[in-house]
Amino acid sequence: MTSTLERPPAPSGPPPAPGQTPTRSARAEGWVRRAPLLPALVFTIIVTQIPFLLTIFYSLQSWNLVRPGSQQFVWFDNYVSVFQDSQFRGVALNTVIMTLGSVLIAVVLGLVLALLLNRHFIGRGIVRTLLVTPFLITPVAAALLWKTTLLDPTYGLINFVLSPFGVGEEAWISDFPLASVMVALIWQWTPFMMLLLLAGLQSMPTDQIEAARMDGAGAWAIFRELTLPHLRRFIELGTVLGAIYLVNTFDAVYMITQGGPGTASANLPFYIYQRAFLGFDIGQSAAMGVVVVVMTIIVATFALRLVFRSFGAAEGSN
Amino acid sequence: MAEVVFDEASRIYTPGATPAVDKLSLTVNDGELVVLVGPSGSGKSTALRMLAGLEPIDAGHLRIDGRDVVDVASKDRDIAMVFQSYALYPSKTVRDNMAFPLKMRGMDKAEQTKRVNEAAEILGLTEYLDRKPKALSGGQRQRVAMGRAIVREPRVFLMDEPLSNLDAKMRVQTRAQIAGLQNRLDVTTVYVTHDQVEAMTMGDRVAVLRDGKLQQYATPSELYDRPVNAFVAGFIGSPAMNLMDLRRSGDGVSLGGSTVPLTREVADAAGSAETVTVGVRPEDLSLTSDGDGIKAVVDVVEELGSESYLYAHMAEHPDTTLVVRGPGRTSVRYGETIGVRVDPDAIHAFDASSGERLAA
Repeated sequence: MTSTLERPPAPSGPPPAPGQTPTRSARAEGWVRRAPLLPALVFTIIVTQIPFLLTIFYSLQSWNLVRPGSQQFVWFDNYVSVFQDSQFRGVALNTVIMTLGSVLIAVVLGLVLALLLNRHFIGRGIVRTLLVTPFLITPVAAALLWKTTLLDPTYGLINFVLSPFGVGEEAWISDFPLASVMVALIWQWTPFMMLLLLAGLQSMPTDQIEAARMDGAGAWAIFRELTLPHLRRFIELGTVLGAIYLVNTFDAVYMITQGGPGTASANLPFYIYQRAFLGFDIGQSAAMGVVVVVMTIIVATFALRLVFRSFGAAEGSN
Repeated sequence: MAEVVFDEASRIYTPGATPAVDKLSLTVNDGELVVLVGPSGSGKSTALRMLAGLEPIDAGHLRIDGRDVVDVASKDRDIAMVFQSYALYPSKTVRDNMAFPLKMRGMDKAEQTKRVNEAAEILGLTEYLDRKPKALSGGQRQRVAMGRAIVREPRVFLMDEPLSNLDAKMRVQTRAQIAGLQNRLDVTTVYVTHDQVEAMTMGDRVAVLRDGKLQQYATPSELYDRPVNAFVAGFIGSPAMNLMDLRRSGDGVSLGGSTVPLTREVADAAGSAETVTVGVRPEDLSLTSDGDGIKAVVDVVEELGSESYLYAHMAEHPDTTLVVRGPGRTSVRYGETIGVRVDPDAIHAFDASSGERLAA
């Protein structure tokens, strides 16, 4: 797995003698190897890097579409106001809570479900299929389902189920906006974590568990001493992948709360969307976009390194 | 320290099908090393796993020190096992691997460290204690698995083909180490292997299994000298015993034109049967210097230095093959005709249909 990520070792021929031209043939060979990748590279540059450069360019201007002719170059003024914007900081915090909270809860629930599904029982196939279903639903549809069918104060099934316990017409979405969005996200992402961890559990050698049983370990000790260490890299992978997807969440926020009340449940993608397409403030929103991209790259670099290291290290085992 | 008794213990995977282990009865004395040997599918590993508590016992009893353990979980049987794959815990260091059974028993840290260090000393693992299993060679991993078993001083050791993942030289070396260690620790040991050489060299007693049934349970020399049936005769010994279905003639059986005499007891036991399965070990066949005796044509010559084995077929019955042990430096070559003489006292005779040994 790691070998595809590492650069292949440089051809280790004898050093080129002066006057000859082996460097040219080595260079040609390098290009032979690189050429098939070029179309993908060019395409990636066109669709990601050029827009990014444009965004940086916009972020240096004061430009509001509502005031035609207001466009002017202001250098880093937009960045200064982004960092002074308390709403931006609140929304950034929301994003961290929403992303990490949803991912961690989904991992824990997914682990519990995976442990249950790793046992033999009648109807396991059906149960597994049912449990995977939330992940197969279009995120917008899932969000709509949570908003209208489940969490609605008047017609919601949650209130209906809870009514015998004295919960009246609780307005979940207005009272707990961030939590409502997170519940929908967790519901969708638990199956993903479950599948990943189930694959991890099934790759665990049974003889290790048998050996532990003979060594006197009970179920909890086996889980703590053997299963969790074995699952560690799967948990890390699930966390990183889940975080990468969830940090970009837009549909659930848009459908369930529209970021409200105020910005109580807005995350960065939604807030930037609001500023760009509802406030028409191109300069400000471009600056926010650049800040978010830079922060995401920093976090993702460390997270991905963690995952590749633990999977790479595991290759040598067995 | 324990006596292990299998009392008609059976393991039946699917009701109605042939049991994997069929009414196995055998007693392993305190401190004894017993080897379960048989071809694959003979039920030897299943029998071991039943003793380990990893397979249920569907019928019969299994007693350790007189206590029936059929319903006792493996963690409470006080048994340690060395797995074929070693089953080391990959996330733990060698030290933690070996200390794991002690930790699970709630032993205090100082005692754990002391015992692990002692075991590491015995097994030559001291310098590897802080490594993870993946940084060890096959032989070292095998020793860690042994170490994990001996630190806790269990009542019974179980070993499931512990040498099969080692190379040939290492295997011979480790074989002697395990036998020595077992003698020294004096712990009752049940050892499973498919390799009859391992069985013969290591076991105080050897149980030969086939299709889930115990064939013979005896000392290695008795298995070799007095196999109870044709299967055991053919399984024990390398190269295998020559087994031939031969027609009776007078007081003996006819082999390659000459008559090999049978003892009176064998002849009586055979009764009126027309054919008898005769077994002769390669070392009980000798080459005649003048080429008389049974005529055979050599197919393959294996020269091992101290001895040689000649694989041949009978000149008159090409379907009947023989293995003959010859001297270390033999001049016989492929395609030559040799004369072979049988030592009549060394003949094993078995019933041609049931395979049971004729006469005591």
